[in-house]
Amino acid sequence: MSENNQEFKPKGTMAILLIFVLTLILLWGSVFLILLSRGMTVGV
Amino acid sequence: MTSKSSMHIDPYERNWIIISIVLLVSFAVAISVAGFAFGIQVPSPEQRVDPRTVADSGPWADPGLRELSPGKYEAYILAQTWSFLPREMTVPIGAEVTFYITSKDVQHGFKLQETNLNVQVVPGQVSKLTVTFDRPGDYDYICTEYCGSGHAAMFGTLHVEP
Amino acid sequence: MSTNTYELSAAEKKFVGWHVFFAVAALSVGALFGPLQALEHSGLDLYPYLKPVFKSYYQGLTLHGVLNALVWTTFFITGFLTLAVSKGLERPMKYPKLNAVGFWTMVVGLVTAAIPLLLDEASVLYTFYPPMKANWAFYLGLTLVVVGSWIEGYGMYYTFAAWRKENPGVRSPLAALGSVITMVMWQIATLGVAVEILTMLLPWSLGLIEGTDPQLARTYFWFTGHPLVYFWLLPAYLSWYSFLPKQVGGKLFSDSLARFAFWLFLLLSVPLGFHHQYVDPGVPAGWKFLHAILTYSVFLPSMMTAFTVVATLEKAGRARGGKGLFGWLRTLPWNNPSVTAQLLGGILFFFGGIGGLANASYNVNLVLHNTAWVPGHFHLTVASAVTMSFMGITYWLVPYVTGKKLISDKAAHWANWLWFTGMVIFSNAMHVVGLLGAPRRTPLGLAPYIPEEWSGHLLRVGIGGTIMFFGIYTYIILLARTAWSKKAEAADVEIPLAQAEQDPQNTPEWLDKWVPWLVGTVVLLIVAYGPQLIDQISNISLNAPGGRVW
Repeated sequence: MSENNQEFKPKGTMAILLIFVLTLILLWGSVFLILLSRGMTVGV
Repeated sequence: MTSKSSMHIDPYERNWIIISIVLLVSFAVAISVAGFAFGIQVPSPEQRVDPRTVADSGPWADPGLRELSPGKYEAYILAQTWSFLPREMTVPIGAEVTFYITSKDVQHGFKLQETNLNVQVVPGQVSKLTVTFDRPGDYDYICTEYCGSGHAAMFGTLHVEP
Repeated sequence: MSTNTYELSAAEKKFVGWHVFFAVAALSVGALFGPLQALEHSGLDLYPYLKPVFKSYYQGLTLHGVLNALVWTTFFITGFLTLAVSKGLERPMKYPKLNAVGFWTMVVGLVTAAIPLLLDEASVLYTFYPPMKANWAFYLGLTLVVVGSWIEGYGMYYTFAAWRKENPGVRSPLAALGSVITMVMWQIATLGVAVEILTMLLPWSLGLIEGTDPQLARTYFWFTGHPLVYFWLLPAYLSWYSFLPKQVGGKLFSDSLARFAFWLFLLLSVPLGFHHQYVDPGVPAGWKFLHAILTYSVFLPSMMTAFTVVATLEKAGRARGGKGLFGWLRTLPWNNPSVTAQLLGGILFFFGGIGGLANASYNVNLVLHNTAWVPGHFHLTVASAVTMSFMGITYWLVPYVTGKKLISDKAAHWANWLWFTGMVIFSNAMHVVGLLGAPRRTPLGLAPYIPEEWSGHLLRVGIGGTIMFFGIYTYIILLARTAWSKKAEAADVEIPLAQAEQDPQNTPEWLDKWVPWLVGTVVLLIVAYGPQLIDQISNISLNAPGGRVW
């Protein structure tokens, strides 16, 4: 029940997911930087 | 009663959902800035053509580069099984080239290596994007959509001269 | 909470078993071509030696995509969800004949499509973009598979509705609710490809109309094509929510968030297909951007799933004696191959999610579209999270429906770890070489434009693909030998149906109401797709005659 859950703090879960988010930002960011480095596709 | 049927969310999980939303919103802002402020855009409808006759008359009957004004070009490119016309083009460094690409048979892809020009080529449609070339070199344009037996060999080269 | 002791009848077990039989049979053929493609990338092209039977790389690639991504998945899913609905509701299908009609319609469709595929008359890849023209039997066969899956879905709806009528005010069991939501989402999503085939491709391939509109066809196709991904994924999520917790000796961490995630998938799975068409010429950029934002929002229920599932595992692992921040990972029952398969699939899925988010990021797609990155990505989703979860499920499901013990846990572990290891090597190499500009769907050994710097990565594609082949064939042989083993060692297997930490009866009522969610789904669909569909359909030009180009 819920009291049970309050005793249990999913700290390991949070740690894994934060590592995931950092990896995500790093990998996504590196592709995004490739995009930016290649310049615009629409001459305005 | 209300507490009984209210949604049970662990405080850690609530934080996680907030982090996720913040992350997604930040990415949305990043791609919006890249798209609408820096002009890194995806194609929009340009015009419709008839794939059965597009190679017979009009600009794709004589595909290639046209210089509009110094440093400004249009490139009309015809994709067909299994080659691009023209196969080679040469522009000077700093050239701003607007590509108009269409197909007279099946779907193809047009990806100009090392640049952000990467579009689907669909019969009946014209894929249009503009790219400026700041670095000299040879840029291959390759077909990135399966288009039949000769697909793997379908490519061309754009030379950017210093 | 009452304990659910329901057992499927012998007939139902057999019915579910047939699904798995056809699924694995399709996989056994589809998987043959994986190493051929991968090795081709490494410079070892074996296709010339197969010429008497298989004509080209592209025929092999088409069989690989259709049999693995469409047939293995759809047959397994309909079978697994039938079991989940029955078990969840503790009752058999209300109209078992209806489900049987659906299933055998799928089988007829499979055979109908297989004939032109094997004869090289439909080497159009599993996206079959017109105006590349396949034999009409291919389109008809695919249609029958889809229609058959609809009929099986109707069988589940009737069963679910009957249960609801008899149990007013009781929260629907999660296993059944998730299954039915998946089938309803699939029903809505497949309207796109149904319209594409019935109004354009079938009459055109039969010679009744001269040409087709390739851009409109793409729009129809991707109306179905992305939610197809969720049709694969949701049964895996269902296993993680409703079965895996029991297998690790724990309980589902949050029943209400699990339900909320499923409803969000119903709402958001479909109205985002333009994110596969970011670089299409015939769709306005504004609509693409809207679908980008909607795609970002469907990332949220997956992030919620990640938390709920990992927290479930953490709590179970701690109860098993795991200490510290990560010690609970080691105390999970890794000796159970069914658990291991799902955990490994889940690990790979983290990376599948990252790659998918990059693909979905509007202009970022300019870097990635139709490069080797894309198959690198979806092998981490459909071929890892989904396929490894399905492998894990079959390790208990096949013993359950056949009454025969899995003949070797060790072989199952080998299958899991080989597949996982090969996938790590293969998918990483595909992502990297894709970023460098390598196209997908291309026998790169024949391509004249390959720079030297790709060769190391292409070698890894071949190595990874070969290891995966040994993994998946270990799996297939294990299942086949189990199914055909003598009944000497009777299996004492039960369906590992999990409970939640909270009594589902405390889950708020709005998470058990269909009408608001269905109305929301339709409204969002109309907003996201309506104007573009009207525009593209009213400007239809059937002027691309196309033909056979292989």
